[in-house]
Amino acid sequence: MSKKKNMAIDFQDNMILLTRKYLKKKIMCPEAKFRHHVKERLHVYDLLKRTVEMGESNSALLIGPRGSGKTTLVNSVLKELETLKSFKENALIVNLHGLVHTDDRLALKDATRQMQLENAVGDKVFGSFSENLSFLLECLKSGDKKRSKPVIFILDEFDLFCAHHNQTLLYNLFDVTQSAQAPICVLGITCRLDVIELLEKRVKSRFSHRQIFLFPGDTSGAEQPISAFDDRLQLFEHLLSLPDDENVNKIEQQYDDCTIDPQFGAMWNDYIKNLIENVTMVNLLKRMYQIDVSERSFRNFLAIAVSSLSEKHQRLEVNDFVEASKIFSQDDKVLMLEGLSVLELCLIIAMKHETEIYDGEPLNFEMVLNRYMKFVNQNSSIQSVQRPVIMKAFEHIKNLEFLAPIAGTNTRVEKEYEFFKFLLTPHQVMEAVKNYSGLPTEVAQWAKSSLQ
Amino acid sequence: KTAAKSHTPSSIKHRNLTPSMHQRNAVLLKPTTALEEARARLHVSAVPKSLPCREEEFNNIYTFLERKLLDNSGGCMYISGVPGTGKTATVNEVIRCLKKLVSKHELNDFKFIEINGMKLTEPRQAYVHILKQLTNRTATWEQAYQLLEKQFIRPTSKKCMTLLLVDELDLLCNKRQDVVYNLLDWPTKLNAQLVVITIANTMDLPERVLMGRVTSRLGLTRLTFQPYNHKQLQEIVITRLKDSNAFRSEAIQLVARKVAAVSGDARRALDICRRATEIAESHDAGTVSMQDVNEALTEMIASAKVQAIRHCSEMERTFLQAVSAEIARTGIEEAIFKNVFKQFEALCSFDGVKTPSITESLGICARLGAYRLLICEHSRADITQRILLNVSSDDIHFSMQDISI
Repeated sequence: MSKKKNMAIDFQDNMILLTRKYLKKKIMCPEAKFRHHVKERLHVYDLLKRTVEMGESNSALLIGPRGSGKTTLVNSVLKELETLKSFKENALIVNLHGLVHTDDRLALKDATRQMQLENAVGDKVFGSFSENLSFLLECLKSGDKKRSKPVIFILDEFDLFCAHHNQTLLYNLFDVTQSAQAPICVLGITCRLDVIELLEKRVKSRFSHRQIFLFPGDTSGAEQPISAFDDRLQLFEHLLSLPDDENVNKIEQQYDDCTIDPQFGAMWNDYIKNLIENVTMVNLLKRMYQIDVSERSFRNFLAIAVSSLSEKHQRLEVNDFVEASKIFSQDDKVLMLEGLSVLELCLIIAMKHETEIYDGEPLNFEMVLNRYMKFVNQNSSIQSVQRPVIMKAFEHIKNLEFLAPIAGTNTRVEKEYEFFKFLLTPHQVMEAVKNYSGLPTEVAQWAKSSLQ
Repeated sequence: KTAAKSHTPSSIKHRNLTPSMHQRNAVLLKPTTALEEARARLHVSAVPKSLPCREEEFNNIYTFLERKLLDNSGGCMYISGVPGTGKTATVNEVIRCLKKLVSKHELNDFKFIEINGMKLTEPRQAYVHILKQLTNRTATWEQAYQLLEKQFIRPTSKKCMTLLLVDELDLLCNKRQDVVYNLLDWPTKLNAQLVVITIANTMDLPERVLMGRVTSRLGLTRLTFQPYNHKQLQEIVITRLKDSNAFRSEAIQLVARKVAAVSGDARRALDICRRATEIAESHDAGTVSMQDVNEALTEMIASAKVQAIRHCSEMERTFLQAVSAEIARTGIEEAIFKNVFKQFEALCSFDGVKTPSITESLGICARLGAYRLLICEHSRADITQRILLNVSSDDIHFSMQDISI
C-alpha cells in the first residue's frame, strides 16, 4: 500500500470532521452579517448614530416574534457602529435583561455599575435602592446634550420591565429622553405585540411610539423580490455550503480554525445544490416552513442533520433530513404511551372509553377500574391483577401527566375518588395502540370499540 | 482601594462629591440641514420660553402663586390633566417668571422645591428629598420627617417662602396617606409659609382616592388642563419650528388633527413630526410633505396586528382561523384547545394539508401566545387549556385575503 493513498484517505476523513465543525459553527453562531430587514436595520442604525453624534435623546421598541433575529439585529448594528471612531469613544452602552434584572433595584445597581458612576467602586455599588435611584437621576440631570457622553440603554425582554412596581425605571428612563438632560437612547426588545398597552399612561406618553417591527420572512428589503419560501431555500443552501474559494477562508476570521480545502468545498456545494432540487427535500422543507417560519428552529433542525456527519457517514442524504425532521414533527405523547406496560395501556384505553362515553367528563380511579374489570372479566385470556397493582399503575399514569387534577378540588378526597381530566385525544390512544409491539389482540380489539 | 471603598458613599452623603456624567471626547455635530434643525427644535426636551396655548392656565397659576408670595401665607393648589398637556412645563415657566421678578427685587426671595412621585422608591422618601433640597443634607426618612416638622412648625422671625411642587401626586398615596396628609397639612400651619402645588392626571383624584381630611386640606383651588385640540397642537408645532420652512403647512395640520382625535398629547404630535423629518430625509426631500407625515402616522399610530398575522406561518394562520371558528361555533369568547384542535383538523383537511400532531399544534399555540395574538393559559393545562383571541376575527379574516406562498 502506497503512502500516498493512505494520506488521501486520511485527508478525506479529516475533511469531513472539519466540514462538520465549520457547518455547525455557521448554523449555530449568529452571523456578523444580518440578512434582510434592511429598512428596520437602517432605522435602528440611524437612531443610535444620531444619539451619539447629535446628542439626540430617543426611545424605540423592537418587536418581533421569538427567533426572528431581534437581538442579532441590535448586535450587528452595534458591531458596525463600533467601527466608527466617534461612536466607540463616546457611547456608553448599558445592557439590561428582563430575566436577569427582575426588579428595579437590581436593574439600577447594574446600570450604575455599567455606567461606572461615582458611587460604584469597581464592580460594587454602594447605597440603598432609593439612594441609587436619586444618584443616577442626579447624574443624568447634571449632564447635558453638549458635554456628556450619550448612554444607550438596551432593555431585552422589555415586557418584563413593565411588570416592575410602578414602572419606576421605565418612567425615569423615558422621562430623561424627553427632558434636557444627558442624551440617552432607550431601546426595548420584546416579542409581545401589545407591549405598549402594558405601559402606564404617563409612561406611555413619554415613550416616543417608535415601534420597529421585525416580521420573519419579510423579504421586501432584498434586491430582487422573491417569495418567502424561496428565501428559505436560499438560506438552506447558504447555511450548508462550504467556502469554495481560497480567499473566503481567509476573510472569515470566525472560522479560522477549520480551513476547508476549496476543491472539496466546490464538490460539496454542488452536492448541496442537487439536494435542493430533490423533490422530497423541498417538500420536507415546505412542510416545516408551513408550520414554523422562525429561523431559529430551522437552524436547530439543520444542526441535528449536520450532526449525523461522521467518518463513516460522509454525505448528507435526504434521509438524514427526514430523520431530523421527525424529531420536530412526531407526537411526543404517543411515544410516551408506547413505553407503558400493557396494564397501564389498558387503563389508558379504559379512560379513553370513559371520556368518549361521557363526553369529556372528569373521571376517577373507581370508574376506570370498573371499566377495566368489566373487560377483564369478559376475556378469560387476560389475567387479572390485584387492586393495589392497578392503583400503582394509575398513579404512574398520573405522574406522567396524562391526567390532570381538576383545579380547586378538595385535597381531603381519598385517592380513589379524586377526579381527573384526561389529557389525551382518542386519536392519540389509537395511534399508540397501533404502534405498540406485542400488544395482546384482545386489548387491541377492545380499544377499537367503546361499547363493550 | 479600601480607603476608596468607605470613602465614596460617605462623600456622597455629605455632598462633597457632585454626581456627574462622563464627558464626551468628540465635539457634538451641529445640525446642518433645515430638516436636522427642525428635528432638534421639535424634540420634546427643547421646551420653548413661553408655552403657546396655555396663557390662561399660566395666568391662573401665576396670580395664585404671586398672591401667596406677596401675602406670605401658605396654600395648596391641585392641577390635573391627561399626560402631555403641559402641566409641569407651565408650572416651571411660572416659577421661572417669578424668579425673574425676584432678581429684579420686585418680590421677596423664595425657595423652590420639586419632588416627583415616580422618582421616589416609596412615598416616605419624599421627606428625604424635600430635606435634601431645603438644607442640602441627607438623612433617613424618620430623621428627615422630624427635621421638616420642626422647620415648618417652629416660629422663626426671618424666613422665606417655600414653594413645593409635587408631581405625580397619586404615587404618594399609600394606604395610610400619612405623607400626603403631612405635605398638605404643613401649609395650614401659621409659621410654615409653604405653598404646595400638586399635579396628577385624574381630575377626581381628591374625591376618589384621598381621605376626607386630606381632601379638605387640598382645598378647592383647582385647575384642569384640557387636552390640546387640533388648532392648539398645530400652533405648538409651528411655534417650535419658528420661521423654518421644513414642514408644509398641511402636513402639520394632518398631524395635529390625527393626534387631537386620539389623545391631545403634545409629546405625541412632536414625536410624529420628528419621525416625519427622518422619513423625509430618507427620501432625500428638502421639506416634509403629506406623504411623509402619513407614513410616520401609520408607523406610530396604527397597530401591526394584521401585518403580524400576514407574516405568520401557514399553519399558525390556520390555527387562528380555527380559534375564531370555534368562538363562532360556541358563541363564548373562551375556547378550549381540544375543541380548537378539532376545528383545526377540519380546516387542514379542507385545505388538503396534513394536520400537525398535537405536540406541534401546542407549539403553534404557544408561539401565538408569546406573540400575543392569542392569550393562552399556562401550557401545563395541556389540551384542556383555555384560549382567548387577542385580535378581532375580522382582522384575521382580512389578513387571510390575497396571500400567496
